[in-house]
Amino acid sequence: MKLSRFFKVLYIIILGFVFFTFKIHSAENINERVKKLTLELRCMTCQNQSIYDSDAEFSNDIKKIVKQKLQEGESEGDIKKFLVERYGEYILFRPLMNYNNIFLWSFPFILLIIGLFFVLIKTKGKKI
Amino acid sequence: MSSLIGFLSLVFAIGINFYLILSRYIFKFQKQKFNFFIRFSSLLTLLSFFSLMYAYVVSDFSNYNVFQNSHSNKPLIYKISGTWGNHEGSMLLWLCILSVFSFFFSFTKNIDRNFQRLTLIIQSFLHILFGLFIVFTSNPFLVNSILVNEGLGLNPILQDPGLAVHPPILYAGYVGYSIVFSIAIAGLFQNTDGEWLYVAKKWSLISWTFLTGGIALGSYWAYYELGWGGWWFWDPVENISLMPWIAGLALVHSLMMVRGEQAIKKWIVFLSILCFSLSVFGTFLVRSGILTSVHSFAADASRGIFILLIFFIITGFGFLVFLLKEPKKSIALNLLFINKVSALVINNILMIIATLTILLGTIYPIIIEVLYNKRISVGGPYFNATVIPIMIPGFLLMSIAPILSWQTNKIQNSKKYVLGFIVLSILVLIQSYFLDFNTWGFVGLLLGFWIILASIIAIFSSYKVKFSIKFIQIINPHIAHIGVGIAIVGITCSSVFQNELDFNLIEGDKFKVNGKTVLFEKIETTNQINFQALRGKFLFDIEKNKLKEIEVGKNYYPVSKMITSEAGILHQWNKDIYFILGDQKNNEWFVKVLINPFVSFIWFGVIIMMYSGFIAVSRR
Repeated sequence: MKLSRFFKVLYIIILGFVFFTFKIHSAENINERVKKLTLELRCMTCQNQSIYDSDAEFSNDIKKIVKQKLQEGESEGDIKKFLVERYGEYILFRPLMNYNNIFLWSFPFILLIIGLFFVLIKTKGKKI
Repeated sequence: MSSLIGFLSLVFAIGINFYLILSRYIFKFQKQKFNFFIRFSSLLTLLSFFSLMYAYVVSDFSNYNVFQNSHSNKPLIYKISGTWGNHEGSMLLWLCILSVFSFFFSFTKNIDRNFQRLTLIIQSFLHILFGLFIVFTSNPFLVNSILVNEGLGLNPILQDPGLAVHPPILYAGYVGYSIVFSIAIAGLFQNTDGEWLYVAKKWSLISWTFLTGGIALGSYWAYYELGWGGWWFWDPVENISLMPWIAGLALVHSLMMVRGEQAIKKWIVFLSILCFSLSVFGTFLVRSGILTSVHSFAADASRGIFILLIFFIITGFGFLVFLLKEPKKSIALNLLFINKVSALVINNILMIIATLTILLGTIYPIIIEVLYNKRISVGGPYFNATVIPIMIPGFLLMSIAPILSWQTNKIQNSKKYVLGFIVLSILVLIQSYFLDFNTWGFVGLLLGFWIILASIIAIFSSYKVKFSIKFIQIINPHIAHIGVGIAIVGITCSSVFQNELDFNLIEGDKFKVNGKTVLFEKIETTNQINFQALRGKFLFDIEKNKLKEIEVGKNYYPVSKMITSEAGILHQWNKDIYFILGDQKNNEWFVKVLINPFVSFIWFGVIIMMYSGFIAVSRR
């Protein structure tokens, strides 16, 4: 079997599974949503620790606020916006996808596309 | 007295290296004499380092550095490790390891004399740069201007056996790339064919293996000492060590594959320069105090600028030589989609993208702060969302890469692999229905097990199994990849399937963890040599009479007025039960219990990778 086809098969299987599982995964309970969100927030009084991992007073307060706001039905985006207004963007471990950070977010994938083209062009038309 | 000896031998060693560089153009030495001077300067640097260590061991507080970072009532091991537990001492350790590498390199046989000499000249050049840096900005031998009987103490968080050995091993990795750098530059200058690649391969494998060990030790330390329950935090300092590690991995793979293709040789030189540049750049970022972390002992702008200067000299020099002297004749690569060469190219491209992404993510907050005067964070979620997806095709590829063919793009026994993969995905799918369904968990488990399975199929279907050293060497790439697979399984399980339980307890309470009853026996405080310990004692699984005691608590270090947390971990082969003692409130203690499945697989995988590194060094 040709290797390229071999890998195509593997890739399609994996992508299929991922797609399939994303559908199932959408329902979560409140504690998991709090965990997911607070893992992406920086504890401002600790050293490079997420709010979820930290037991500092600051983190416990934010955990309470996040939980309360989620229960009130606010979206993750709203909560993040609220926290950024209060503490600045520094609190977000996942940088916002805004004008300033466009380079940060696009750079790896631009490189990946360039790399992919490089390999495809170099290997094009060579068959055994 | 020992400080004086240390300082003089340090300066004298630098002098010798100056003399050696001059000697190349002014005097004519015999090879024997040249090597003698190289070794002599190495021994002097070692002497300098050991005299600093002696000052620490005897608590000689007339040395300002010892006064700042030591205390007479520390246990001996931390007096020794205190030597590199501060900026000045750790830079001296850096220089010391650099000269130790030169020392051993001067014994290399079977290489061209002139080539060896040129490599060592470049090493001397590096020695001078870092030596002057130490003398002018970070001298560990300064005399204390006041008379004191007691020192200020070592940062308690560094008083730990894991962290005592972490810096020397990590530095052996970082600085080991200096030899690879020198070899590559010397290879460019002399345009010698082929031979130097074998030498470079050996040294880059040694460096990479040390670096792996150093990073793993640091991360294991973070796991049990920080008490956060995790072992990797995408902390800037962790990222910095990861960059030369990934670039070094690309280098090792390229060196394995080199078969006279000029294009790959060029690439190897590029990677060699890159690895050492990243190591120096990492040192700059950590030491300049731009990044705040446990590692930035003291922020001092002049040091940062000096190291930045060294970084520009080394990188600029390296890449300048690369551009001017690059190997000219280029033979086209035999690239097919997919054979061994193109698999190597893809692997290298992915690793370089990962390295650059980590680099960008690590320095991006600095760039934004300079440009917009705004502080942002780039943390774990960013790296997880970028680096991991980029690496996934690489992980898929590595499962069968060692048995790919050079000439054709076909694979033997493909049915076995496809069948294996389908059976495996069904198994993992079934398993994940019984546990919580998690996309990343699913992908990670599938990839990890697939790498292990494919490597095992490859070993048994491609080679004749027999027990000899040669066989062990032949299957070594597969073994290394099995190690990676095991580590991926461990990483996935411990991060995705981690479970957290919170309790508020008083002494004598019983509670359930994973169906087992745990008794919160008592809280006690004791006085140790240089700290006070608060310990909660837990008895695990009291019903089965297999009493396992877990101690968890905090240490208070009166000298530095700091509290460190001491996690209590019950290690089992398939999970760690991780206890964290919180604060006391209304007579109740807050206790957090984390169940980390398969953490031990991470360390086991890393040990296998290091084993493979050593086996590969022994193979020519």
